Amino acid sequence: MNKELINKYANDILIDLTDEEAEKTIEELNVLDKHMTAIEKLNNIKDVEPLTHPFDLYTATLRDDIAEDGEMIENVLRNSDVVEAREIEVPKVVG
Amino acid sequence: MEIKNIVKKAYDSQDKLNAFVTIIDEPKQTIDNQDSPLNGQVVAIKDNISTKDILSTGSSNALKDYVPFWDATIVKKLQDAGTILLGKTTMDELGMGATGTTSHTGIVRNPWNLDHITAGSSSGSAALVAANIVNYAIGSDTGDSVRKPAAYCGVVGFKPTYGLISRYGLFPFASSLDHIGTFAKSVKDVAILTDAIKGIDEFDMTTWDSSHINLTKATDLDVKGKKLFYIKELCDINSYDLQSDELKNTLKIFDETINKCKELGIEVEEVSIDKNLLSALFPSYLCISSAEATSNNSNLTGIIFGPRGKGSDINEIMKDHRTKGFSSLVKRRFVIGSFVLQENNKDKYFLNAQRVRRLIVDKMNELFEKYDGLILPCSEGGATKIEDLEDNNINNASILENHMVIANFGGFPSITIPNGFINDLPIGINITGKVMDDENIINIAHHIESTMNYKNQIAKGWK
Repeated sequence: MNKELINKYANDILIDLTDEEAEKTIEELNVLDKHMTAIEKLNNIKDVEPLTHPFDLYTATLRDDIAEDGEMIENVLRNSDVVEAREIEVPKVVG
Repeated sequence: MEIKNIVKKAYDSQDKLNAFVTIIDEPKQTIDNQDSPLNGQVVAIKDNISTKDILSTGSSNALKDYVPFWDATIVKKLQDAGTILLGKTTMDELGMGATGTTSHTGIVRNPWNLDHITAGSSSGSAALVAANIVNYAIGSDTGDSVRKPAAYCGVVGFKPTYGLISRYGLFPFASSLDHIGTFAKSVKDVAILTDAIKGIDEFDMTTWDSSHINLTKATDLDVKGKKLFYIKELCDINSYDLQSDELKNTLKIFDETINKCKELGIEVEEVSIDKNLLSALFPSYLCISSAEATSNNSNLTGIIFGPRGKGSDINEIMKDHRTKGFSSLVKRRFVIGSFVLQENNKDKYFLNAQRVRRLIVDKMNELFEKYDGLILPCSEGGATKIEDLEDNNINNASILENHMVIANFGGFPSITIPNGFINDLPIGINITGKVMDDENIINIAHHIESTMNYKNQIAKGWK
């Protein structure tokens, strides 16, 4: 675990860390690593299927496919700082 | 009390408690529902729940001006029940924190003693119920964010079974662990509030049909013959290397509560669980919640909402927004999330955490075949002094302070009720039960509450 690596992980998710924040993150990851190394030693841990959700019970029903006018453009624009006409403005992305 | 006087009381509390992000100057009752037990009652809602045309910040600078244009499902249900929204409550930023000290609007203070924390992340909601500004409040709970502040503020906090309450409109933190929960000063009142907002919702596929469940009526049922268990490794003082007076008092008060359970005719037994598995709870929670949080919050870019960052290209703009918008703690959690999801690290951290999750949930489900619920103290003592807080809370991963995450791992219904005081600060006990057995847990908690003198108590220290 070093600062260069931590800054890379931060950069991947579009965050800049100060030196102090990077050091603290390293400290925290070292503590976490100690715990997770102990967990690797739990009996047969590798044979356990990871649990991703509390329990399986999902109500997935398809709604009728009816076109609606969301009437939401003005509402969406209210929360953006940089708006041009009825669009959110950003610097040119595609060359 | 007239509504304008309630608003004045809310404003008067701000310089002491700082429990509101927003107070509504002229609160309105949208629907007069004479059939609802909540008709005309004032409520406060955590600031990570979307309220139409009302600022909803998640207590983060990244969303400091965000105004939703639709209501969360529970907001509509509260309106239908005839309640009046008084304001939005201060929380740990984006739900990530356990102290009530990380909001962009400052520290929430404990109404029993202003020098102490409330715990978090539903800090303002718990403080306002304790201080009697409102009788009812809404929070959210990803690790213990309703049940811990309830304990430290001396009120009742209930996190029902996963999917009992719709999360449509809740800012997601870690979706597989997130729940909406309720606060009040008695078990019956959290039952009434939860009944009003529960139900299947076409906008949240994790909700399920709970029309057969009536939590309010469940408090009328008998408890004789019910069976609870507690975990030996957490309740035996000899299991602890550091035996502080506070911990000894907590366990002594817990023993007294267990005796009261037995007087009610509830059987209580001691169960032993592998301490290595219990020690794995907090690190596993940290891996899962940080990973899910990193992914869920990737939409906070400052483009569609939030303050626009500076920069010459889109990545620079987003990075500037995120770097300035999040506090240090939230940034570190996101980086931990990024770290555990890296291909090289995923198995050791993220997948092993999910494996621990299955082991503990399977163990609990096995025990819930025999017992109605698990009963444990909520913490090692009362709320910490604000000046004594350590910045690095990962080091302080005591099992007794972190066990309530079990209920998030398994989606189990889980309730905290006050059961005493240490150094004039409230402490609580937690009761957790089988999935969809919410009525049983409410009933047991209601009866245990009736053996003690903490129902409807009001904090006086803040005045």
